[in-house]
Amino acid sequence: MDAKQWGVYVHIPFCRQKCFYCDFPSFAGRERYWEDYTGALCREIAVRGSYYRQQWGKPATIYLGGGTPSILPEKFMKQLLSELRQIFLPDGKAEEFTVECNPGTVDEPYLAMLRNRGVNRLSFGVQSFDDTLLKRIGRIHNGQQAVDAVAMARRVGFANLSLDLMYGLPGQTLEQLKESVEQALSLKPEHISIYGLQLEEGTAFYRMQELGKLNLPTDDVTEAMYDYMTEYLPSQGYERYEISNFARPGFESRHNMSYWQDVPYLGVGAAAHSYLDGQRWAAFAELDRYMDAIKENRIPVEPEEAATTAIAIEEFCFLALRTAKGISREKFLQKFGREMDVWYGTVLRDLSARKLLVDDGRYVRLTRQGMKYGNLVFEKFLLDAQDF
Amino acid sequence: MQNKNIRNFSIIAHIDHGKSTIADRLIEYTGTLTKREMEAQVLDNMDLERERGITIKAQTVRLDYKGKDGQLYQLNLIDTPGHVDFTYEVSRSLAACEGALLVVDAAQGVEAQTLANVYMALENDLEIVPVINKIDLPSADPERVKEEIENTIGLDTSNAVLASAKSGIGIEEILDSIVDYIPAPEGDENAPLQALIFDSFFDSYKGVIAHVRVKQGHIKKGMKLKMMATGKTFEVTDVGCFKPQPVDVGHLDVGEVGFVAGSLKDVRDVQVGDTITFADNPAAEPLPGYRGVTPMVYCGLYPVDSSDYDNLKDALEKMQINDAALVFEPETSVALGFGFRCGFLGLLHMDVIQERLEREYNLKLITTAPSVIYHVFKTDGSQVDVSNPSDLPPQTEIEHIEEPYVKATVIVPNDFVGAVMEISQDKRGEFKTMDYLDENRVMITYHIPLNEIIFDYFDRLKSATRGYASLDYELADYQESKLVKVDILLNGDPVDALSTIVHKDRAAGRGRQLASKLKEIIPQQMFEIPIQAAIGSKVIARENVRARRKDVLAKCYGGDISRKRKLLEKQKEGKKRMKAVGSVEVPQEAFMAILKID
Repeated sequence: MDAKQWGVYVHIPFCRQKCFYCDFPSFAGRERYWEDYTGALCREIAVRGSYYRQQWGKPATIYLGGGTPSILPEKFMKQLLSELRQIFLPDGKAEEFTVECNPGTVDEPYLAMLRNRGVNRLSFGVQSFDDTLLKRIGRIHNGQQAVDAVAMARRVGFANLSLDLMYGLPGQTLEQLKESVEQALSLKPEHISIYGLQLEEGTAFYRMQELGKLNLPTDDVTEAMYDYMTEYLPSQGYERYEISNFARPGFESRHNMSYWQDVPYLGVGAAAHSYLDGQRWAAFAELDRYMDAIKENRIPVEPEEAATTAIAIEEFCFLALRTAKGISREKFLQKFGREMDVWYGTVLRDLSARKLLVDDGRYVRLTRQGMKYGNLVFEKFLLDAQDF
Repeated sequence: MQNKNIRNFSIIAHIDHGKSTIADRLIEYTGTLTKREMEAQVLDNMDLERERGITIKAQTVRLDYKGKDGQLYQLNLIDTPGHVDFTYEVSRSLAACEGALLVVDAAQGVEAQTLANVYMALENDLEIVPVINKIDLPSADPERVKEEIENTIGLDTSNAVLASAKSGIGIEEILDSIVDYIPAPEGDENAPLQALIFDSFFDSYKGVIAHVRVKQGHIKKGMKLKMMATGKTFEVTDVGCFKPQPVDVGHLDVGEVGFVAGSLKDVRDVQVGDTITFADNPAAEPLPGYRGVTPMVYCGLYPVDSSDYDNLKDALEKMQINDAALVFEPETSVALGFGFRCGFLGLLHMDVIQERLEREYNLKLITTAPSVIYHVFKTDGSQVDVSNPSDLPPQTEIEHIEEPYVKATVIVPNDFVGAVMEISQDKRGEFKTMDYLDENRVMITYHIPLNEIIFDYFDRLKSATRGYASLDYELADYQESKLVKVDILLNGDPVDALSTIVHKDRAAGRGRQLASKLKEIIPQQMFEIPIQAAIGSKVIARENVRARRKDVLAKCYGGDISRKRKLLEKQKEGKKRMKAVGSVEVPQEAFMAILKID
């Protein structure tokens, strides 16, 4: 079988403390699970991973996300990385091998260990350099720790670092945000992600907002923050290659791009999602259920909605539209056998007329305005039952 | 059946006073249907009717009852629509009877609508048997209610039946009173046929089925008959009575109530109030009281999805088969595209049709604000009827405009008289009369523009009187008024479907209220949307819908995709009822905003 591009995601559902805005499947205070969970991951990698490795060849990217992958003690992290290398990377190298880190959980030897075992990219959840703000949103680290972590990563040889920043946080001002952005830029990361705070049900912030105790910036301020970052970062050499992602040329996250470019990926671990042969799968989110399944030699996943052509087309489009490159008309034709105009002729004309997207005949992509109102555009790419 | 053993009656009651329950009990008690066969409310068989607790289509049932004297009686119950929109239909149903049960709630007493129907029954010389229902309620006060009936209507209540239909109390007494007090029908078996049509419905096998009361003569299968008003002739294929489903018995004799069918295809050939007679040997005169259907309220109906136009047309045609009062014709709106101008008997009729179109035909509709029919007298001496504000000729071509007025009757506890007067004055009403029904309850009549009635008059009455007010109205006349058209401009473009006709003195206020209501209703879009209200070229109010804020899912990675797609689907679903008017997406309720301003 020919080698094809694919990626591996490994989910580490642990953190020291749950951030107040976080609705990801991750748990604090589950130290007793670490050992068994690492064992279960290794077993899943050995079984499911080997299968796809044989089918598709070496994956282009590996990504450890969470939770906080860097919370795993060295012993378990080593065990996990060895397994990943053994199964996926016979030559020891991946094109892109990322580990998400919390700046408050790493030291230099730990980062060196990651580097020595093939990890070539780190993504730091910095969020802000303002200590009061960090505390207010439930982060366990402070601004100085972020500065230090980046310095350590550089010292041990990481040449590809990403920083996450958040805006629209409770009590945050535009000035504070600008300061954090300047500090981030002074660390010269290769990649920056920016996320506006979203209130998700079930989070501490959601409840606080319901009680009227969350002092969020006004819509005007949040929008000014968005405008500032989407204008300023490109002016500083960080190209906006996706709605929320900026990178120096050549440092776009390949792994994340694969989500938007219809590239298959295998998700390993509790709550990890996979996209294999056109079907999306979700692993059991409860730790016990996940680990029991592994123990009993069962595949720990269940299918999300049954894949239909309509869903495939919709997702193909709205995911590709998130990227600056946009939808490749040629890829669309290859995959679905017909020009995209068959389904979207009117939509494309209408949205072009409203200057929300540009169609140059090869690619269909969002304008700057289109990115700002992305949801309105994406919505138009949902198909009605009668289209089939 | 001998005439002396026939009784034709209807039931007059206010909503919720127990008409349907009493009808059910009568059907059950006489064994017309076994309990098992009965649905909870046999007579109100449309879902919507059941939901709203009202009867829209009249229903008829023949009950066989063995009286105290041992004789068999044929009791024909003619159920009447219970809403002010259907006054004419009620009057024809009453004209088919010799008597009526007046059902009054033992706790609540007489209401305006009941009263209107009682007067109508008295005009038709009906014998009225009062029934005080719900006597087992803790708050029941039958003596007070009797007194009220005597004071307001002047009816002798010494023979009133005390009942509780729910608990089955007084049912036999009601049946005996019908036999004892309601006169038997009179008429000549051998005279030329005169049968009064009091309702009709469409059956896909038999065609239009007319509900009739034979006043003179008789009907047999195979006879050639003729509609006196519409001139339509037909041969009788089915004739019989309702039990309550139609049973073909081959004939209807003088005095009887039942149905006639004869491959009639068009419900408009079978008009309520028309007289059926012999085709070859017609009666000299039709029965009195016939009048054609006249819609009082008009509105535009447009499909949200313009590709549904043909479906809407089909649906309206199907509805019309069963509803001669519904009229419609194609209409084009600059803002809404192709749709229909539809005429209704009243607001409830309009609501019901609209809901049925959406429910039974799965259509998503935009309804424009209802309008009455204005008589516009032009400077060139011609006159036009305008039921769509956007059709109003330019101000310079108008000599004057007349609008329909109604006589509105309101009954309230005397504490609320002030509130009723205040609202009625505010609605341009002219005070006519005020009468005390008893120490506590007052009947007030106003001469008031129909236009004001359809604009939330009753809602305001009810909220100002804690729900105690009851209202009835009937068309009185047309009078000259100083009326102007207020236009609404969205993003600088006039939206014809939002135009409204209002009294000159109120135009500025209405314009401001409407603009600010629209500001609430129209969601933020990518650009700022100015909303203006204007009379002619003069802007009288202005609001702005601010541009919406950024709207994009910040994060969408491998684990999020299905969930994010569902969010988008939800978002799309929420917009299904929006209509793109120019570049502005306008929600359905915007077109009814005029009804929602205070």
